[in-house]
Amino acid sequence: MRVWLALLIGLLATPAFAQLHPTARTVITQAVEDVIRPGFAGFATETERLAAAQAELCAGPSADALAVVRGQFGAVVQAWSGIEVYRFGPLMTDNRTERILFWPDRKGIALRQVQAILATEDETATDPATLYGKSVAVQGLGALEFVLFGTGAETLGTAEGDFRCSYGSAIAALLSSTAAEMSSEWADPAGISARLIRPDESDLDYRDNAEVLQELVGVMAHGLEMIRDQRILPFLGRGGAEPKPKSALFWRSNQTMPSILANFAALRALLVNSDIWEYAPTEQFWIGEQAMAEFDSVAIYGSGVTGTVEEAMADPAQVDQVANIVISSQVIGKLVGEDLPAALGLSVGFSSLDGD
Amino acid sequence: MWQRRAFLKAAGAGFVASLLPRRAEALERAELLFASSIQKTAGGYAAALVSEAGTLIASVDLPERGHDLTFSPVTGQAVVFARQPGTFAVVFDPAGAVAPQTITSIEGRHFFGHGAFSPDGRLLYATENDFENARGVIGIYDVAGGFRRIGEFDTFGTGPHEMLLMPDGETFVIANGGIETHPDYGRAELNLETMDPSVAFIDRRTGDLIGQLRLAAGLHKLSIRHMAFDRQGRVWFGCQFRGDPGDRPQLVGYATREGEIRLIELPEGTLGDLRNYVGSVAASSDGAVIGVSSPEGNTILALDASTGGVIEALSMRNGCGIAGDAAGLLASSGDGELGGFAGSAAERLSVPVLFDNHLRRVP
Repeated sequence: MRVWLALLIGLLATPAFAQLHPTARTVITQAVEDVIRPGFAGFATETERLAAAQAELCAGPSADALAVVRGQFGAVVQAWSGIEVYRFGPLMTDNRTERILFWPDRKGIALRQVQAILATEDETATDPATLYGKSVAVQGLGALEFVLFGTGAETLGTAEGDFRCSYGSAIAALLSSTAAEMSSEWADPAGISARLIRPDESDLDYRDNAEVLQELVGVMAHGLEMIRDQRILPFLGRGGAEPKPKSALFWRSNQTMPSILANFAALRALLVNSDIWEYAPTEQFWIGEQAMAEFDSVAIYGSGVTGTVEEAMADPAQVDQVANIVISSQVIGKLVGEDLPAALGLSVGFSSLDGD
Repeated sequence: MWQRRAFLKAAGAGFVASLLPRRAEALERAELLFASSIQKTAGGYAAALVSEAGTLIASVDLPERGHDLTFSPVTGQAVVFARQPGTFAVVFDPAGAVAPQTITSIEGRHFFGHGAFSPDGRLLYATENDFENARGVIGIYDVAGGFRRIGEFDTFGTGPHEMLLMPDGETFVIANGGIETHPDYGRAELNLETMDPSVAFIDRRTGDLIGQLRLAAGLHKLSIRHMAFDRQGRVWFGCQFRGDPGDRPQLVGYATREGEIRLIELPEGTLGDLRNYVGSVAASSDGAVIGVSSPEGNTILALDASTGGVIEALSMRNGCGIAGDAAGLLASSGDGELGGFAGSAAERLSVPVLFDNHLRRVP
């Protein structure tokens, strides 16, 4: 009896024992409180700064003020890239995902519509309230990128760019208010956070911890697929096709690679900071460890891609680095999309990956 | 296209020879056989034949994930189609006597995962994507000509998914899911705001549109995707909802060639269990029971085709495939489960493969 007790105490006293296996509740709480909520708060902060900088630019147009806005646009894209993978809850109501970023836009709808607004100086696009009622393609990051970096953007530094600047202000204000709404929804202790942290049999989507963990693992699996299929392959080209730099998201602002790397970093943060990989049996820790190593490789490949997408795609060495990122995304996709759910006893792996 | 080359190699070496004796034995014993695309537990994809008792009879390797299968009513040849946006289909002989053959989609088209033979077995039809024009087409293949593609018909919609030949043998019914995709963006859905799903009835010989049915305007984000006939010849369909995830619209209904289309009213709790996603629809052999599955909700329903009432709700994790067996319905799951319900005597058991979305009884 005493021996057993000593053994038991020994086990409990081993710090590794407690640390190695967080509870499902801990994993979910850490995902919400340490990863998702700060991400949405950051997007709210950055868009608020963007709206302020844009207003300042319009009040006193100058090359310097324009440079500040352009720099802040990059910060907003970074923040967005960290949260856009959370396609459930606040991002999924009221077409917010599409309002913030209308993409992919294969037919160039946004460009046509934004150019039409600029050409006709459509005043209803300068008021956030009426802009909200327009096509989702003219009120988000893609539209603002064209305003700030597209043909004619240099007029923003002068009084000549008055209309363009007001339109940009309306977009920035709308982004800021949507970001603030989402952040407060995530911060609401009785809202989506509660549904995830304390799932309930009566909930439509989250009846138990397994369904919440499945949602989180799904974020990683679907996120990797999105990065690959919607963000990299359209400009890298599939199956040896010619690269198409202008099919890249954010090529005008030179945010293509930074946004892609921020997407990866966000998924890595979810994996690591939630401790979800340690919720697996100890002998399955290799899954999380390999995924982390592969995420690190992505960052290294990414650092080898410099300059604009157009320049990078004209350089075989940089094309290789981007191709390596694609391969890494497939490796991580298998690890977190197949191996990890299997290790966690979830069923994300196969037919529940939707779309057919 | 490296994928195609890789595939041609794979298909040539596709038969699992060691399983041949078991296949012969199973055929001799006249057991009910079922076919499904699978993912192998060791990785890799295949189309597999399995008995109702859970014996794996044979498999044909596939280079990527397969989807549905169809059978020639004359020769019994099977065709498995790639899951969208795949570019291959593989023709194989369930009895294993003839080597498998690969069909590749033509430039500018890819498969959607479903198809059907003509009643005389001379033509094979497949739903395909004319992706540059976001237009659904039915590819037409000449069986005797080595499955040469000899033409195409319009599906009168975007994103066609399942197609069936009606019991009259002359009319196609097509589920135009309404969702635009383009292989440049993988499986990303490009037109959720302007989706226009429909059920189209098309003349098999001329390709003429006989009739096209749509749900109420407020339901344009309800993608109509899978179908089966009941014994009255009505077309039951199951939908996937792409609107606000907080909404729970009805997902199951039926349409007729005479122009009727309606959604049935599933009870709130049952509807909730479907998680806005129906993965397959199949009928019992006598057409009296309609099976509807949701792998998202781990639920498979058996519905009375005459009343729309729920006969049974089977709980099966990742359950999606359904096929009629001798007395009821057989279900399969992405976790490798197989089990009968709604009158079937088949035991619930585990098979060491992961079944894809569709299960078909081998005729």
